[in-house]
Amino acid sequence: MTVAERLGLVNYRNQGRSDSRAHIEVDTDICNSTCPHKCTTRVCPAKCYTLDEQGNVHFQFEDCIECGTCLYACDQGAVTWRFPHPEEGRGVNWTLG
Amino acid sequence: MEEKFDCIIVGGGIAGLSAAMTLAKADARFLLIERGEFCGAKNVSGGVLWGSDLARLVPDYWQDEGGFERFVSHRRLTFTDEQSAFSVDFKSDHFKETPYTGVTVLRAVFDEWLAGKVQQAIDASAHPDESFLATDILVEEVVQEEGRVTGIRAGDEVFHADCVIIAEGVNNLLTRQIGLEKEYVPGDHVAVGVKEVLKLDEARLADRFQLDGRSGLTNEFVGACSEGVEGGGFLYTNRDSISLGLVLGMNDLRDKGKTPYDVLNSFKEHPAVADMIRDAETVEYSAHVVSTGDIKGMPSEIYADGVMIAGEAAHLLLNAGKAIQGMDYAMRSGILAAETVVEAKKASDFSAAMLGNYRKALESSYVLQDMKSFQEAVHLLHRQEMFSTVPNLICDFGRQFFTIDSKPTPKASAMMRAAIKRHASYWDLVKLGLKGAKAL
Repeated sequence: MTVAERLGLVNYRNQGRSDSRAHIEVDTDICNSTCPHKCTTRVCPAKCYTLDEQGNVHFQFEDCIECGTCLYACDQGAVTWRFPHPEEGRGVNWTLG
Repeated sequence: MEEKFDCIIVGGGIAGLSAAMTLAKADARFLLIERGEFCGAKNVSGGVLWGSDLARLVPDYWQDEGGFERFVSHRRLTFTDEQSAFSVDFKSDHFKETPYTGVTVLRAVFDEWLAGKVQQAIDASAHPDESFLATDILVEEVVQEEGRVTGIRAGDEVFHADCVIIAEGVNNLLTRQIGLEKEYVPGDHVAVGVKEVLKLDEARLADRFQLDGRSGLTNEFVGACSEGVEGGGFLYTNRDSISLGLVLGMNDLRDKGKTPYDVLNSFKEHPAVADMIRDAETVEYSAHVVSTGDIKGMPSEIYADGVMIAGEAAHLLLNAGKAIQGMDYAMRSGILAAETVVEAKKASDFSAAMLGNYRKALESSYVLQDMKSFQEAVHLLHRQEMFSTVPNLICDFGRQFFTIDSKPTPKASAMMRAAIKRHASYWDLVKLGLKGAKAL
């Protein structure tokens, strides 16, 4: 099963909203300059962190399932982590949990 | 709302709801704030709720149709190599006696049910209109005045209370904000949990796992199932679904360059697992950080003036090889924090000195006693041998022992020697065995 297929089963909040407020901000300048491991691109269970062909890190918060992995895994100070805002943010709404 | 509560609880998970239930029964006035649409909407566990505290909060809960999925009457620990599975298996009718000592749960279902029970307790209390379970509200800040916690802020609104119980879960941002936890906590003492819930018709599930009524199976896995990454797998039976997942050491996952979802795919393909989940359809995928139970991962303190930290926000969790205990620790810590509030209210004293009784109560409870006495087991379980050498050796021995191939059969001790020779050295095993004997 692919990550995309798995995330297709996740219920997100404010799914219809096009301008939802990001709850995680990533300073990818740090990822792409001094970070020796770029580990978030592997440890994030929702694949919110990806590498392009040049090896640069990109981040999107829309698929985030609020697990907290990057909050702990990033030891470079690139990740600013908050909980999503109930009305304006994204984030999960588990059916089973 | 200008009124001042006896207590504000941040988080409608098991710790928060257990605190709320305890306060409701003691006729305290409290506000519980949950950021999800309902209590449980943001919560993920494996999950087995071990222990019997649930019966303290909700007597005769087993007579209720809702709430938990199945009670645990059958336990299995499986060592795996790539092709084999060698299990220690225990099933007993003793486990059918109530109160049960373990129940499987799906948190979005269970927590919502527990919240309903708390609301009933509020309605039956002396102040039914002065305590609230408020959902869909995000607490952004713990308010401090002159060094003591006096309330919380959500958006533009500030709510005041004599004390605050922070039960925000392992991603403990508020605990960090008030300085009881470092601003950045490295991944040394946490793991990544990933899980799928797979639907299987109830009758078929009961047949497949030999279940009777609401009885259930828990199965933990170590070895090849985690592709050499520190950690292990689990399979728990729910009413009409299976919870299947892995808990993988954060730093080891990082250092080995693996991804949790690929390891999960290979776990599902392991022959022992594939046979158990055949034709079951994945209906939800989830993930969450989990504490590893290393006491070094706890916040510097779990109380201060006007505040207490409960559940996984305090990194209360233990996996010493017998079970992953996190929800029962959340429950007990929530109860003890709330009991401390009741005591503090009687004395009109919410100072750090008084709230320190929460730590004392936790120290004398099984939670911190077990966490302390099983630290060596926690460390032992994180050694590379435990998810490579040991399971490989056990499966090698099993393969020899259970193979009948019409040749002269060596004695079991010779088989064991051969297995050890292939996977480890005697000396290393003796050392590991001694450590294990001491740790467990």
